[in-house]
Formats: sequence, structure tokens, C-alpha cells
Amino acid sequence: MRFLQSFVVAIVLRFVHAALIELRALDSRVVKEFERMPEGLSYAIRTGHNGPSLYVEWDGRELRRLPSLAHPACALRIKSMPLAFQLFTGQMGLSQAYARHAFTMGGEVADVMRLARLVNLVEAYLFPKIMTRRIMTDVPETEVCFLRAYARILLGFLTCKYKLSK
Amino acid sequence: MVPYFEFQNAVKLLCGELALERIAIELELMGASKPLMLSDAVLTKIGTLATVIKAMESEGVEPAATFTDIPVDSSLAVVNHIAAFYREQGCDSIVAVGGGSVIDTAKGVRLVLSQNKQDILSLSGLDNLVRGKHVPFIVVPTTAGTGSECTGVAVIRNDSNGVKMEFLSPYVEPDAAVIDPRMTVGLPPKATATTGMDALVHAIEACTCQQANPLSTSYGTAAIRMIAENVVEATRNGSNKQARFAMALASTMAGISFSNSMVGAVHAIGHALGGVCHVPHAVAMTILLPHVMRYNLSHCAQGYAELLPLLVGMEAAMATPAEKRAEAAIEAVVALGRKLHDICGIPLTLSDAGVVRDTFAHVAEVAVNDGALIVNPRAADESQVIEILNAAY
Repeated sequence: MRFLQSFVVAIVLRFVHAALIELRALDSRVVKEFERMPEGLSYAIRTGHNGPSLYVEWDGRELRRLPSLAHPACALRIKSMPLAFQLFTGQMGLSQAYARHAFTMGGEVADVMRLARLVNLVEAYLFPKIMTRRIMTDVPETEVCFLRAYARILLGFLTCKYKLSK
Repeated sequence: MVPYFEFQNAVKLLCGELALERIAIELELMGASKPLMLSDAVLTKIGTLATVIKAMESEGVEPAATFTDIPVDSSLAVVNHIAAFYREQGCDSIVAVGGGSVIDTAKGVRLVLSQNKQDILSLSGLDNLVRGKHVPFIVVPTTAGTGSECTGVAVIRNDSNGVKMEFLSPYVEPDAAVIDPRMTVGLPPKATATTGMDALVHAIEACTCQQANPLSTSYGTAAIRMIAENVVEATRNGSNKQARFAMALASTMAGISFSNSMVGAVHAIGHALGGVCHVPHAVAMTILLPHVMRYNLSHCAQGYAELLPLLVGMEAAMATPAEKRAEAAIEAVVALGRKLHDICGIPLTLSDAGVVRDTFAHVAEVAVNDGALIVNPRAADESQVIEILNAAY
């Protein structure tokens, strides 16, 4: 079970990274968040014990995925694989994860809040409303049809702009 | 009920008469004998710090050093400076005497020392620290509002960007808190009223935010009842020791409550108003509470309705139709604020507090990055924060 959860979480993490990049072309709120993001801000998202991880850095122009990060500005660690699975499969929102003590964080709280707003927007596009209504107190309206977001992300994977591997 | 929650309160509470005289033995039991006393200039001037030191000395413990230059809005630089001072003076423990700023500064100092660091900035985060070296740490609150004596969070201003940063860890909790009625008897009416409202905000937000749980709510509801029953009397008649003690206990219980379930938008916006416009924390809380409750009402009607009996008493609550109780709870908070305003002139609007509208965009930008917003019952973006600020103006 853990292997399966770990596999799914690894895929979703790659998908989230791709979604953040593609939504910059589609949603004004995502554009605004990146405009305000300090250059060099980096995030490490680690899951459970030796679970999949995502390392990204905003270089002022793009959100680059990195193989690892020694000193991320903001380091999130989801406390267990079942929690990571719930979080990344739309069973638990980020604010619910906070409320349930699902993660630890090193760095500034403000940077988590930035990420939370971005993840909420990503989830609003990627998950159906029946799911998002359960995991968010207020679901952000999408500015374009969710299919456009999906199409751009899938095209990105098909053209090897994004990779599922490390 | 929430599917999962955590609850921690490891602070030993020394409550009641002659509690100050027990600080010495508590230090001794923790193996400490050279405390660094932390306080501020006002408490030094009016003799509050001297009262505590005298009580300690009478039981055989003399401070190794004293630092009283903690400003109203303390900063990371002050924390780092005091940590260096502690090391220079060869102290082995900390006794903090003061309100929220002094206590949160002391928590920061303790964190830097126990984690053996030079700069507190390297320790920011949420539940990410390992247990460090034990530095005995006792706090003596001199206001009945912050509840900081029992919370696992320190809020300290970052001067480089004007943002109030949160350091969340169980290891910032003091070893002991001394709730002695002598410490708040001399508190002026305005400070009594606003810090009392601060405690009320802690309790109300703790009971109604997304992280509320049965244990935190039990402390929060008890605090709301005690505040509603005593804050007016404590403000009107400061020498009433019973009312003072009730308020001090209520503040502590509200602190335990929100330390285990977080707060909400009142705090997120209040921290931003403090960081950007230098509005005192308790004043910001007093002004914002009813406006944020109105904003949250659509998402929190049942939670607010359940607060009504605590605010106005069971009979009055039962006489209110069920569907009107949430709004009646908000009106009860408004009425309490007005009553306190009539007694001592506390500000009830942001304009009264000297805030100018031009700052709202900046305040909103800072507020949405505050961690307290994440568990507010209703999400809020910058435009919605500005709406709340306009309503409170």
C-alpha cells in the first residue's frame, strides 16, 4: 500500500509543478503571486520517511524543478505517507493539513501562505468541484476552463517539457 | 468533530496569592540560580519589576543580570542582542516580567539559547525544531490578555520588512507561568479593557477556527464566560482583586485554547496593522473582532450561536430565536466594546486608532501572508481584507 501511495504522490508532485508553470499563462492570480515572489525563493516538499519529494526554485523568470536542495528557503515535510496521499489526491486541503498538524515547516510562514494560495488555485483547476468543496472553505473560481489547464499540462509532459522521472 | 487534533500544555501554572514568592523555589528545582530578568522600561519605572525581584530575593535568589530595554513592538534584533547579553553575563535561566512583547521576546531568547544559535531568524518555522538544551524559563504576565505565558508561539517583528514573524514550536513554551493578582492590579483601565478584549478574541477565534478541537474549545468557552462576566468590572474597578484574578485566569485559558487550535483573521489583520501601522496589538484586536465576525458569519453561524450563552448568559440566549443567535453574539461583542469605550475611551474604529486608509493595500498584502489566516473559517484574499478594514474604519 505504501509503495502505491508513494508512486501516486510522486506523480502528483510532478503534476503540481507543471500546473504551477502552466497556470501562469492562464490565471491572473497565479501571475500576480509569481510577480511578488522573491527571486531565489525555493521550496522543498518532502513526504513521509524517504518518500517522494519536490524541489523547486523561482529564479525570477521560471519555477525550476531541481534534483535536490541543500538549503531551501521553505522546507515542508509531510509527516507520513498516508497524509501525503490524502493531501495530494484531493482528500485533504492545505488548510486542513495545517489544522491536522500534517506537516512541519522550516522557514517563513509567509512563504507557506504563498504556496497555499497557489496550491488552492491548482486544485481548483485540477480537481472537480465536488472534491474541492470538501477540502476548501472557499473554492476559487477558475478564470478559464479547466480543460485548457489539463491540455497544457499534458502537452507539456508529452513534449518532454516536464518529466515524470527525477 | 475534527478527524485529528493535537493538544499540548506543559506549562506549570502558579496561580493566586503570594505566587511571586514561589519563583525562587521553582528556579531551584530546575537547577537554576542565576536568572536573567527581562522586562520593559514602564514596568521598571512603576515598580512592578522590583516587586518580582523583591519576592525572589526574599526567598534567596538574586538576578544575575537585568535587561529592561524591550520595546513595545520587539524585534528579532532585540532577541539576538539579549541572547548575547545572557551569554556574556553567565546567566543560567530566564524570568520574564511583562506583557506580550516582553514574554514573546523572552521566548525568542530562550529558543536561540536552547538551540545554541546566534540568530533567531534561522529558527523560524512550524514544529520543525528538535528539543534543545533546557534553559529554565519562568514568565510573570503583567497584563490579562496575551495568554502568551501558555502558548507555543512567539510573535516577533522583523525590522527588515516590518512583518511580525511567528515562531511555532512546543519548545517556546515556558516551564512555569506565575499568575499573581498583584501583577495586574495597577493596570490602567484602557489597557485592562483592550487586553481583556484581546483575550476574548483569542478564545472566540480558538473556538471557531478550523483547528478547534474539544479540548481547546473547553478552555476557550470557559475563558469567554469569565471575560464576559469580569472585564467590565476589572476595567471600572481595577482594585477588585477577584475580577483581576478572574481576568488573568481567563487570559491564560484563552492562551491554552488558541495555542492548541490557532486563531484566525482578526489576528492575521491585527498583526499586519501592528507591523505596518504600529497599532498596538490589543487595540487592533478590539477594533477588528466584530467586523471579522460579520465577515465570517456565513461560514460560522453555528459556532457563533453557541457562544451567545457565554457572552450574555443562558436566559438571554434562550430568549433569542435560534436563527438570530449568531448575529446576537456579534452584537453582544459590539455592546461589550461600547461599554468599555464608555468607561475608559478605548478606540473602536481604525480612524480612532490613527490608521489612514492609504495603508490598507499594504496591510492587506501583509495580512494574507500571515499564518493565522490559514485556519480562519472563511478564506480571505486582499480585496476581502480591505473590505474588513473599510468596515472597521
